This record gives sequence, C-alpha cells and structure tokens, in this order.
Amino acid sequence: MKVPFSWLKDYVDIDVSPEILAEKMVKAGFEVEEIIDLSAACKKIIVAKILSIASHPDADKLIVCQLDCGETYGQKQIVTGAHNVKVGDYVPACMHGAVLPNGKTITKGKLRGVLSEGMMCGGSELDLTSDDYEAAGVDGIFILDDRFAPGTDINVYLQNNDYVLDIGVTANRPDCNSIIGIAREVAAVLNVPFKGLPDVNFTESDDINNFVSVKVEATDLCPRYIAKAVKNIKIARSPEIIRRRLRKVGIRPINNIVDITNYVLIEIGQPMHSFDANKIGGKQIIVRRANDGEKIVTLDEKENLLTQDNLVICDQDKPVALAGVMGGINSGIASDTTDVVFEAACFKRDNVRRTSRKLGIRSDSSARFEKGIDFLSQELAVKRTCQLISEQGIGDIVGGVIDTLGKVENRVLTVSVKKINAILGITIPSEVMVDILARLSLNPILDGDSITLTIPGYREDLVNANDIAEEVIRFYGYDNIESKPLDGLSQTQGKNTFSHETETKIRNLLSGTSEYHECVSYSFISPSFARKMRLPEDDYRNNVIELMNPLGEELSVMRTTLFHSMLNLIAGNNARGNKSSKLYEIGKVYLPHSLPLNELPDEKPVLMLAEFGQDKNFYSIKNAVRAVLEKLNIKADFTPAVKPWLHPGRSAVITIDGEELGYIGEIHPDVQKDYKVELTYVAELWLDVLTKHEKSHLPFVDLPKYPAITRDLAFVTDKQVTAQTLLNEVKRLGGKLLENASIFDVYSGKGIEQGKKSVAIALSFRAKDRTLVDTEVNAVIDKIIAGMQKNLGATLR
Amino acid sequence: MFDIIKQIVEKCRLAIEEATDTSILADIKVRFLGKNGEYTGILRGMKNLSPEERPSFGKFVNEGRAFIEQKIAEKEAQLKAEEQRKKLESETIDVTLDDDSAIGSIHPLTLVKDEIVNIFLGLGFEVKEGPEIETDMFNFQLLNVPKDHPARDMQDTFYLTDNILLRTHTSPMQARVMTTEKPPIRIICPGKVYRSDDDATHSPIFNQVEGLVIDKGVSLSHLKGCLDMFAKAMFGKETKTRFRPSYFPFTEPSVEVDVSCSMCGGKGCKLCKGTGWIEVLGAGVVNPDVLTNCGIDPEEYSGFAFGFGVDRMAMIKYGIPHIRLMYENDVRVLKQYK
Repeated sequence: MKVPFSWLKDYVDIDVSPEILAEKMVKAGFEVEEIIDLSAACKKIIVAKILSIASHPDADKLIVCQLDCGETYGQKQIVTGAHNVKVGDYVPACMHGAVLPNGKTITKGKLRGVLSEGMMCGGSELDLTSDDYEAAGVDGIFILDDRFAPGTDINVYLQNNDYVLDIGVTANRPDCNSIIGIAREVAAVLNVPFKGLPDVNFTESDDINNFVSVKVEATDLCPRYIAKAVKNIKIARSPEIIRRRLRKVGIRPINNIVDITNYVLIEIGQPMHSFDANKIGGKQIIVRRANDGEKIVTLDEKENLLTQDNLVICDQDKPVALAGVMGGINSGIASDTTDVVFEAACFKRDNVRRTSRKLGIRSDSSARFEKGIDFLSQELAVKRTCQLISEQGIGDIVGGVIDTLGKVENRVLTVSVKKINAILGITIPSEVMVDILARLSLNPILDGDSITLTIPGYREDLVNANDIAEEVIRFYGYDNIESKPLDGLSQTQGKNTFSHETETKIRNLLSGTSEYHECVSYSFISPSFARKMRLPEDDYRNNVIELMNPLGEELSVMRTTLFHSMLNLIAGNNARGNKSSKLYEIGKVYLPHSLPLNELPDEKPVLMLAEFGQDKNFYSIKNAVRAVLEKLNIKADFTPAVKPWLHPGRSAVITIDGEELGYIGEIHPDVQKDYKVELTYVAELWLDVLTKHEKSHLPFVDLPKYPAITRDLAFVTDKQVTAQTLLNEVKRLGGKLLENASIFDVYSGKGIEQGKKSVAIALSFRAKDRTLVDTEVNAVIDKIIAGMQKNLGATLR
Repeated sequence: MFDIIKQIVEKCRLAIEEATDTSILADIKVRFLGKNGEYTGILRGMKNLSPEERPSFGKFVNEGRAFIEQKIAEKEAQLKAEEQRKKLESETIDVTLDDDSAIGSIHPLTLVKDEIVNIFLGLGFEVKEGPEIETDMFNFQLLNVPKDHPARDMQDTFYLTDNILLRTHTSPMQARVMTTEKPPIRIICPGKVYRSDDDATHSPIFNQVEGLVIDKGVSLSHLKGCLDMFAKAMFGKETKTRFRPSYFPFTEPSVEVDVSCSMCGGKGCKLCKGTGWIEVLGAGVVNPDVLTNCGIDPEEYSGFAFGFGVDRMAMIKYGIPHIRLMYENDVRVLKQYK
C-alpha cells in the first residue's frame, strides 16, 4: 500500500518524521518496505521566466534565452532547440548541477560556441505526461502557469515535497489497504485523534428511482449493493491535486469521473464502478450468477465466456459488468456521458478471486475485493464520491440512494483480562489494556475482569481473546514479553525417527573416508527422464505425478527415480570442470497408487550413489554399497541383471532375502551421451528396505578355542559362472567344518582355455569343540572338488 | 699375574672402545671372555697359585671380568642406539607429502537441519515427519486458510490436482499431529516445502522446520523462552531474540522473530544489512480456531508454534551468499562442509 504523507495528513496530525513514523509502524505490525522521498527525483530544477529570446549566431535551429531564475540564481542564459517558448513564459529550468528523474546530471557548457548555463525541460524529462499536466505533453518545453515566482523549486510546483510510505499490509487487515485505514492506525500509534471524513454538505435534486432500480438475486455473493446517481455530468480533467495524488500512488489520471472512483478506492478502500445511466437497459440493475455460456466484453476489450460461478451485474437483458472485476464495454463512461450511476458494493472475496483467476482479468478493483471489503466502506465511499463531485461542480447529485442492506450494527465482544494475560504470559494492568483498546476505537468498558468492546465494521479480524491479546501486545510492546522456560509444562521425551538414525549412519559412513559428497536436488524433474533412461513401457517409473502449474517443462513431474537428478548433477559438475568425484543423495521418489491422483501417493526414500570419472570402476561403488550393508548388518546378494540404462555386462540387482533392494552398474554408453556424462557408476537403493532389514547389532560370537586349517583351491570354470555361485556352492559343500571361503584371485588368459577362467578360493576349516586333523579336512576337500565338478562343471586347476 | 690381568683388561677395554659395530663387539666378547678366551685362560693359571693367594686373586679376576662385561654392555647399548639412529635416519620420509585420500562431505542443509533438530531433542521435542504431497485440507483449511482466502497469496502453491498439492510449509504436520494425538504435544517437523516462486533469492524447493507445543497453560512467554534457548544454542550464548508483530492465519498473536546478528554482535554489518538483527522465523500462539479444527479444546489447552527456513539458517551460519548454491551441488562447494 503506497501512502503519500500529505494525503495521510488529511486524516491525522503527524508531528514526527517519516522515518520515525515508519519505525513505530513496524513495531505495530506494519512493515514499511520503503520510504520514497518524491523530491529526490528532481534536484536544482526551478521555475524560471523567459525575459528575452535571441537567435543563435551560428545555428539556425537554436535560440538563446535570458531567464529570470529568482533571487538565488539570478539571470541565466540558456540555449535551446525548442521553439514553443516565448518571452514571458514560465518554464522549468535546470541549473548547473541539476539532476533529472532519469538520473541525468545537467551542467553548463557551450552550445555551438554560446554559453548555456542550464537546460529548459520538456514534460517527459520531468517524468510527466499530458495526463499530469496538459502542457507537459506538448513537443518542446513544458510551459508552466504563473502561480509560482521565478526561483521556486519545481518540487513545490509539482507538489513533490512529499514522502510516500510503501506499507506492507498483512492479510488480516484488509481495512488498511486504504488511506483512512492507515490513518486510523497511525492515530493509534501516535496516540492522537483520527480526524475522520469531513462533514459532507451537498444539495440533491430529482430522485434516484427515476434513474435505476436494483435487485440482488445472489445475496450470498453480494451482501450489500449501494447505487447513487449523478446527472448533468461534465466529463473533464480532474483538478491538479487529484491528478497528482493518483500519480503518487501509481494510478494514471484519466477523467474526472474515473479519477474520483480511483481516488475513493485509494482513500476509502472501496472499489467503485460507474455506469452510464443511459446504457442500462430498462433502467434495471440485477446482480446475479451468470448463465452458463453467457458472454461479456470487458473494458479491456476481451470477450469472456461465463459460467454460474461468475457473479455479474446485468441490466434487463444482458451482463453489463463482471462484479468486482471489471465493467463491460457496453455500459462504461464515455466523453458524451451525462448521467452516471455509481456502484459501491460488497462482493464476496472468494468469488471475485475465483472469477479473476479463472478469466485471467486482474484489476485494482478485483485486487481489493480479493482481500476483503467490510460492510461500512460502501456508505463512506458513496458519500465521499458525492462530496468530490459537488466540490468540483461537475454534476448534480440525484436525491436518494438505493442500499440493499440498510444499517450495519457494530459487533460486541467481551474478553477477560486474565485470559489475555494468560495468552501473553505476562501481567498487563487492566487500565493499560483499556487505554490501548480505546486508542483503537474499540470503546472498551471495563467491568471487573471483563472488558466489553464494540467492534467497528472494519475490524472483522477481531473475533476472540487471542485477537484482542494481539491488539494489546502490539501497542504494549513485544519487548515486554518475558522469556519463560518450558519447565512448568508436562514432561516429554525428545526422540528422533528411526529412519533418521539409519540415514545418519549411512551419511556418516559415506561422507567419512568413503569420500562421498552428499547432494540435495529438486523433487520435480523433466518428463524426458523416461526417454533418456530408455524405460520400458511397463516400467513403474513411467507413472509420474504431473504438476498442474509447473515452473517449466524441466520441472514438471514428481520424480520416480533419483537417477535423472543425479546424472544431471554429474553433468553440471563435468561442465564446471569437476571431472571425477563420488556423490550421493538421500531423497524421496513419489509413486502414485493411481493416476490421475485421487489419494496421497507413496513417498519412498531412496539412497542414490554415483561415482564418475575415468579412474572409477564397478568394484569401487560396489564397495561403498557393501560398506552400507555391513554397517547396517545386512547380507545381500548381487545378481547380474539387465537394465536399459546400464551396461548389460556390468550391472546387477541387489536383493535381501529375495526382496529387491535396488540396482548397481555402469551407465550405458548411449545414456552417457544423452546426459553428457563420461564413465559413471550408479547404485539406487530403497532406503525403506534397508531400514526394514537393518539390525542394530548381531549376536555375540565367542572367539575360537581351537586352531583352523587353511587350504587354497583353484577351479577352472566357464566365464559366465559368477563368483557368488562358486562361493555359495563351495560353502554348501563345505558343510559345518568350513568356517570361511573367499576368492583371492580370478585369472583368465595364457594357460587357461578360451571362455574359461581360473578362480582361486581360500578355505578355512575349524571345529568348535576340537582340533581338526588333516584327514577330516581332506575328506571335505574331496567332497568339494567332486561337487564343484559335478554341479558347476568346475575342474580343479 | 696381577699385572698380566691388568694388561689384558686394559687391552680388552681399548678393543671395546674401538669397536664400531655390534658384531665386532660380539667377537671381542668371544675373544676375551669365551671358553677359550684370553681372560678365561688366566683362570687356568690359578692352579699355580698358593691357597693363600687364591682368594684375593680370584676376587681380582672376577672384578676384572665384571669390568669387561660392563664395558661391553655399555658399548653394546651405545652401538645399538647408534645403529637404530642410523636406521631411522635412513627411513626418513617427507611428512609434508600427502597421500591422495580425502574424506567426503555432508550437505550444509543436512548439517544445519541436524543441528536444529538436536537442539530441540534436548528440549524434549519429538521429531515427526510427514508427506510432502499434501491435501488442501491439511496444508490450508485446518490451518484457518479456507479456499480462496487472501492468505493463500502469501504462499504460491504448486497444485497436483484441485485438492492435492505440494505442501507450502511444514505446518500441515501441526494439523496431522493434533488430529491424531492428545496433548501434551511437543514436536519438531523438518522437511522439504515447495512454493512456485523462482528468482535469485528464492528456490521453488526449500526446507523448513516446524515446531509445535500444546499443553495446559502455554503462553507467548513460553515461546519467547523456547526460542531464546534455541537462538543461544544455534548462534552463540550472547544471542538475543526480538519479536515483531506479524500475521499468520494459524497463530494469534503472530510474530516475526529476529535474532541479534551473529556476525557483528548487533552493531550492524553486511549480513544484517546494518540493522543488527536478522529475521529467522515466524511464530505465534496457536490460533484457538486451529485447535478447534483439530479437535483440541481451546478452553483446556493452548500452545505455540514456530517455523523457520533451514536454507536461510544455513546461509546465515555458513555465509553462503546465494540459495541456488545449495541446489547446484558443485563438488567444490560441497567439499567445504563436513
């Protein structure tokens, strides 16, 4: 809300600087985003009078003017190329060192050899148009009127010795989206009286019933509708003060009638609409829901197709305005308008909001209605409108008013002093509360512990004791709130979630000497992931939840895998010259039960690991995964598997007791190209499967009492037989006495038949209850050798 | 005889003194004290002595032997020390060289989130996590923000359907817990939140931590006490908090909370834009309408709630200048946080 200091002073006496007022307003809950000094735009620009004009000796197009620049500056010579000036004219003149609104500094200098001690300004150079001053729009110098003597600061002429406070108004205080609303708060803050609207005296003639009748059918969406007529209107420019004030709050002046409605909108906070009375068919205004398929062309010349959700103002046969949003082109004010019907209505904010969003029309009016308009403003707004018209003498106010609501009663609210103190946790004396509430015009009456308040119509936000507690404390001062420990409250136990503890273990492990760096990426991704990953059609990852209003295609679907995010992070790092690293992310994927979404989806946490760079290999990332598994005391199996986004010979699925934990592997070269990454290994694991199988510790195993016997065996097998298969078979055949078996060498090449490999396995045998003898071990070894031959075709090397 | 002994002992002493390594010393030991050693040979001469002479001679011989043994031991110790010194010297490495191993890193958002959560765990708060994809009911309606309420403009929302959305704050967890659990409630809810603004100072995804306390007799002063404690733990013992009035639909009274600037101690600097204060969170007394919406009797119970941005906290704590840096995940940035 932009509030000119000068306008505010119409309603409250302010004896402090804008800065101090801003500070006090912040403490009362109104953030002052900016204090704009309007005079700062023009420096050393003054009113000057042209004394004489001579031609330039060396330039046909230039003239040399002598100007009276007042006492301070004296007489100055200025050369100009403009030809709309004549002797005796008053003009804005930049003195040496002047600054224009666009930031440009003007200095004296020579123009084709003749001294020019400044510059005369055109309207646009002062950031003015013909909307502000008629003469500001002409091509050439802005000719001023002679109200101000030469030497007068141009800011005085432009009424710019003023400040504009840009005040942030919270959603609970729609009443403060107006000059009078802010003025009421300022009065309370400074503890001075709010002056109120001036008493309005204007004469009326004729009868409104001769001009219009009003029928509200949709009373639920329009609880109040006031119509007031003015006849014999003379459309013209508004007085300077109106135009200047509108400009200060960012509104372009148009004509006296439109300007008055805008002026009232800013001052009172009530959007008004003006109809050309002669364009209202049947002299009837009907407020109703639109019929499905009904159409209206609004003032922005846009045709809108309406539904029953839209509230419209209609004459006897067609919509003439979109209620609270924008008028129709068929009923608006034109230069030949003579009779006007002003509308001041209360439309329900949610309906205005919906219509505005649905049709994509935003206006100052809809913005205001969306925030909420109280029931009192309509009456005030109509009064103020009539007053301004009467002051300007631009029309005859028609007698009578149509008001569909009539009188509005103030609400009464009773609160307990004790309760307010209990909410705040401090003790504020009841007299102090009463004083504060009186400043807010809530007419408090204290009776023992209870305070009875009369709530004015514009304070719809005050409904319970908490609301009143806030009113009291924002004036009593938040700095007076004491700091109380939680000791007196019930005993509670602090605890974290189980999954958080698992995640912390994983993080500490990976981010420790495993050299992994944790990443955090966006939860929404580009739908192109499916193509880039070459997902088969029936893959569950294709079932993505789409955003209705994404920021862009690239961020338009909720991810069903962390693969895409991770690969993009790697590509980003590659592009920045980080060619080799290890990354991981713990994040969620979003898996719908059905599409379109009709219930909340599953949000499953995933652990994504990646290693990239020419120095990386499969076993390094596998080690990281194994470390995670070991840390959580989980045994898992790695089985070769083909995933379209992975190298078919270097990928595996990982399972725990048959339950799928995830996949691991090298990125397929085609996928590498698509993501613009180089050699990369990834693993994507379900975190909830890890948590499910995690054991905080395993049962204690006593140290062995008897020595072990170790043997090494090397088998020659087909290359396709996996290490896991070999070990599993050896362990099965080894029985109880085989304590451990591990592969220590895999060899293929010279001496080994093509398509075969030699796998060397270290075996360790031990009994719990005795020292083993060679013969026992030999028997088991024989069994293993025979079994490996028979079951896997593996021969002893 | 005595003279001979003296000569041998002297000869032996010289030999020991000249020995340059332990093997020479071992040879000396054999040469003099071995079975057939020079000194041992003297004992054999004892049989030629008279019984009267024997004791004193024997004593003299033994003393000489002990002397030699001691000298050898001393020399041996000296030589061994010298040999070890040389060995160690030869093993000298350049300790300023590094192997290329390093450690990984934890994302600053995780570090700060954990730090915040740990402070509240100590204050008896329980961590609760909830869905990021939420219903309009929990995200807005139960929190006093009906459909088409102007307060919805405060939080630009990503919608998935007309009634399902990406949560715009962690506050729906307040409603989720209040509708399912009985007071006393003391919870802290960290998590990702989403808003559809995307510019230099905003990220469409960021992280919040929500706190909620519901009990009998909870007041705004308890909120102040709780946040004072937190601010001191998070930003240092000298940190002060300041309340400014504000508005949130689900708290009343509502406040913005500033902490005194940890960088300049309140004097005013670039971080606090010269004000000495940094805005860190929004908070307030739980609006009784919200309690009623969630099935808790506002006559019996009251509470406070607060919510703050983890990203902002991390930026303040680590001096990270742009929020975007958190989500770019440039390894050179990530490496800085452990």
